[in-house]
Order: sequence, then structure tokens, then C-alpha cells
Amino acid sequence: MMINVLSDLCIGLGIVFWFWGTLPLLGKRSVLFKLHSLSVADTLGSMSIIFGLLLKIPNQWSLLVLALISLAIWNTILGYVLAYCSSSGGQDER
Amino acid sequence: MMNAILIAMILALLIPIYEAWQDEDIWQKMLAFASIATKTSIMFLVISVLRGDWMIGVVGVIILSVGNAGLMLLAHLIRRMNE
Repeated sequence: MMINVLSDLCIGLGIVFWFWGTLPLLGKRSVLFKLHSLSVADTLGSMSIIFGLLLKIPNQWSLLVLALISLAIWNTILGYVLAYCSSSGGQDER
Repeated sequence: MMNAILIAMILALLIPIYEAWQDEDIWQKMLAFASIATKTSIMFLVISVLRGDWMIGVVGVIILSVGNAGLMLLAHLIRRMNE
């Protein structure tokens, strides 16, 4: 019972983080600003949602832990690569 | 409860879709696409828990672990073409 409440809490927190990370996409800010909010809040929200699912269904932990690890590693690397590729032009920074 | 979670996730997914549709700048589009990819694969996992079907979950984890590699290759390709 306690675990269920905790997992729902984690998933709800993750969805709040998703909205928090994605809403700056709509503004007129630079790519790096949006990338920062996306890679911090969005990744943390996704990891929180997967952690909530892990509490709900503990017998599939291997799959969910693989998802957690790949989220943590890939999204960080993707953030670096996108920042590097988008800032090389030099004239499109605002 | 899980249906409400799914509806909230679809609402969050609409934001990057709208951004990818209305923004002309290629890097903003790439950013929105990366966000869409992560969000849909998390939704795959939630749906697989909801239905108790782990074949769907396996597909979501595969997208999470190898899907971003394609986006990184595409970013390098776009950068080379802009030079």
C-alpha cells in the first residue's frame, strides 16, 4: 500500500518535471537555454517515472534498470553532442 | 489512475510536437525531436506496465538505448552539411 502511494508520487513528480522541462521549448530563447532545461528537467522526470514503474513492478527490474542507465548516459551525451554541433556555426547564437 | 497518467503524458508530448512543427530553425527542431523520442519511449514503458505486456516494454527499452545514437549521427550530418 505504502509502495503504491510512493510509486504514484514518483510518477506524478516525473510528469511535473516533464512539463517544467518542455514548456521553455515554446519560448524564443537560444538553443543552449532550451537544451539545458530539457536535459536537466526532462531526464530527471523520465528517470523518476521509470523509478515509479520499478516500484510498481519489481520483478522486471533488469529491463527497467537498463532503461534508467541508458537514459542517464545517452541523454547526457546527446546534450553535449547537440550543443557542440549547434554552436559550431557561430552566427546563429542569440 | 494509470489512465490519468497517460493523458497527462500525451499532453506533455503535444508541446515538443507543436514546437517541431512551428519552428524553422533546424537545431530547435532536433531538440524537439529528441524530446519526442524520449517521451514516447517512456510512454511505451508505462503502457507495457498498464497492460502487463513486456514485449512492448522491450521495444521501449531498445528505443531508449539505441535510438539516441541515430539522433547524434543526424546532428553530425547536419553540421557537416551546413559547413
